[in-house]
Amino acid sequence: MTNGTDERDDMTAERGLRTLVAWCPDWPLVAAGILPHVPAAVFHANRVVACTAAARAEGVTRGLRRREAQARCPELVIEPHDPGREARAFEPIVVAVETFTPRVEVTRPGACALPTRGPSRYFGGDERVAAKVQTAVDAALSGLVGGAVPEEIRSRIGIADGPFSAALAARRGLVVDPGSSPEFLAPLPVSLLDEPELSDLLIRLGLRTLGAFAALDPSDVVGRFGPVGVAAHRRARGLDDRSLATRVPPPDLSTEMPLDPPADRVDTAAFAAKVLADRLCSGLAAAGLICPCIRIEAETEHGESLTRVWRHHRAFAPATVAERVRWQLDGWLAERTRCGCPAPDRSDSPDVDQCRGGTDCPSPLGGTTGGLTLLRLVPEEVDVDDGRQSGFWGGMTEADDRAARGFARVQGLLGPDTVFTAVLRGGRGPADQVRLVRWGDPKRVSAKAGTGVRSAGRSPSPTEEPSWPGRVPAPSPALVPVRAIEAELVDAQDQPVGVTSRSFVTQAPHRLSIDGARWAPIRSWAGPWTADERWWDPAARRRLARLQVVTADGRAFLLVFEGGQWGVEGVYD
Amino acid sequence: MSRAERITVDAGMVAVGRPKPTHLTSLGLAIERTLPLASHLEPLFPGGGLRRGTTVVVAGADAVQGATSLALALAAQASATRSWCAAVAFPQLGLVAAAELGVELTRLALIPHVPPSQWTNVVGALVDTVDLVLVRPPAHLRQGDARRLTTRARERGAVLIPVLGRSDSDRSPWAEGADIRLRIVSTTWEGPGAGDGQLRHRDVVVAAGGRGAAARERMVSLALPRMVGSADEPATIDAFAGSDAARIPDPCLAPAPTLRSAG
Repeated sequence: MTNGTDERDDMTAERGLRTLVAWCPDWPLVAAGILPHVPAAVFHANRVVACTAAARAEGVTRGLRRREAQARCPELVIEPHDPGREARAFEPIVVAVETFTPRVEVTRPGACALPTRGPSRYFGGDERVAAKVQTAVDAALSGLVGGAVPEEIRSRIGIADGPFSAALAARRGLVVDPGSSPEFLAPLPVSLLDEPELSDLLIRLGLRTLGAFAALDPSDVVGRFGPVGVAAHRRARGLDDRSLATRVPPPDLSTEMPLDPPADRVDTAAFAAKVLADRLCSGLAAAGLICPCIRIEAETEHGESLTRVWRHHRAFAPATVAERVRWQLDGWLAERTRCGCPAPDRSDSPDVDQCRGGTDCPSPLGGTTGGLTLLRLVPEEVDVDDGRQSGFWGGMTEADDRAARGFARVQGLLGPDTVFTAVLRGGRGPADQVRLVRWGDPKRVSAKAGTGVRSAGRSPSPTEEPSWPGRVPAPSPALVPVRAIEAELVDAQDQPVGVTSRSFVTQAPHRLSIDGARWAPIRSWAGPWTADERWWDPAARRRLARLQVVTADGRAFLLVFEGGQWGVEGVYD
Repeated sequence: MSRAERITVDAGMVAVGRPKPTHLTSLGLAIERTLPLASHLEPLFPGGGLRRGTTVVVAGADAVQGATSLALALAAQASATRSWCAAVAFPQLGLVAAAELGVELTRLALIPHVPPSQWTNVVGALVDTVDLVLVRPPAHLRQGDARRLTTRARERGAVLIPVLGRSDSDRSPWAEGADIRLRIVSTTWEGPGAGDGQLRHRDVVVAAGGRGAAARERMVSLALPRMVGSADEPATIDAFAGSDAARIPDPCLAPAPTLRSAG
């Protein structure tokens, strides 16, 4: 077993697992929705990870620094590296490949591998399988691109012995004959082994091709390069014995229920929803999963389909799912009351039988036009159920749970868009600095929010507080009217006070009247703080000046001057 | 003597008459029975703490600002120590100001718009589940509803803070019957001059009254917002109280005796 002659005998007999690799070139960019004629590149840690054919023609290559890539191709579009997006976009491709065999390995987003023994036998040869897989993948690609697939990003299929050779064959779109993988690999450079340290050493030893490396005696390789070297050596000899880590196709956890006769009353549909929710949650529990985000779909008898996504701060339980379905159906079925038909007699009841909708309804204004015929619950996101337990110090406590129940109850009373938490963000005005997040939604602020410029200049790090010149310093007003209340500000001669383009007040303000009320004399004032916001966008540009004013009776206001008109933007209540 | 017996005897010496086991529980859970409060707000409350289950009315008088800031300041320390707060029917609430006053915004739920027909149900649901609820009552709230919410808050150990506007503070059903009643008497801003400076500091004089131990109305001057870096304690202005009664220590407010450690 350990002597050299046995090894050599093995070499002739054994051979890597016959593998097909489907490869989509420049996948990170395809996933980002960028076509190959646009010069673009995906960067990670300031280095090019992938680039389009147009960028490659300009000299952009993998591993280049961003500054250097922009120097070679000034109009380069820069995309951030988003492995999640790439993996999500690759899912349709994997599904297309899975129609041939359930055993598909997703090597990385952009490449997947499958053993060809079964499919080849079924379809009559490797070439036929390759052609069929290519057709299926290209069809999936065209669905993603939305039209004909450009030649540069058409998928390539390679078949060879072992996943390593097959991946290299896919780059060239080759079907390597069984047993001839070593000859195929022999002229290729050792850098393809994907072992940078080892290939660097091999090159310095004068072994530049895989063939030269493969010609070494295996016992010498293990003595000199250790186990990593042996594994690389076997790959170079076309003896890649790594088995494919095929994925288990995800079970379809969605549940649906046809409704016959069609449900046009909320309680009928809600009852069905309860049954569905029970089924969904027991299916999830059997798989050890919880679901924080669910999609409710319904179809009506006239073929309309209605969809809504709901999110829960932790996980949906049957009762909470049924509750959401009920709220949603309340909305959908109640909207029928707002169609152009004569008002129904019982306007307080959510189920309306007067207007049958659809073709009968002369002027439908939205909502559904008929009863619901199908209800479907799809878990949008699933998570491993970690058997959450209330924390002793910190973490989720029982009080948090109780509060969450209270907020869900309020959502049940008033609807989902009624409970919010606030997240502070950058801005100048007191209202600009607040973003309301619906209770249950994730609180993440998107990375691109706030800046319209993507590639130019240095972007601030997440921990760094960007400065907002022209922001009125603390304290901030405790009441912020939804829209500014009109106000008048005059000087001692009853002339309106303005603000010059040089940020000076034309006259010292003397009296203030808010919304036509009594004039209040001004005791002291401060400002103005001026801001010229979004000057690059003519539609959204705002030039304004803010003034803090204290009246003689001790009240303080934040006034804003915009377009020649004063308004109360904040009350220091 | 065992540990339990010793404590019973000590507690019995404090309470006149028979030692009652309830005193033991009330002493042991004293921290759990109040919500934390910033030190400069303590003079507003008899006993110096925001007791759970109380209803604290914050009212601005006509043309006097400061009620919203005071209500937010009351919620600040509680939210910072992981208690949940909710603000009902405050569509105009300045959340930047709330954050500056020390409110932890991740612990504050906002229900900006509540139809009057659902108002009592919503506040009731929140009082059941949340530690501190700021509410702006609708114009025509029934006396019975207000009383029911007060009772519910007392039972569930929540602090209910109705913030009354300037015009409706006298007609509100909460004008009487609240445990604590805080009325802004006057405010003085410092900072701006004639175009120079900025708003920096506000002195607010609050009339603190209510029922029971808080029945005697006192005037408390405090800083809202608190000046940065100032550690000065607010002074109780005795002159406003009208008599020397304020100086006489209230037996109900006597500090709880500390338990000696046994063994």
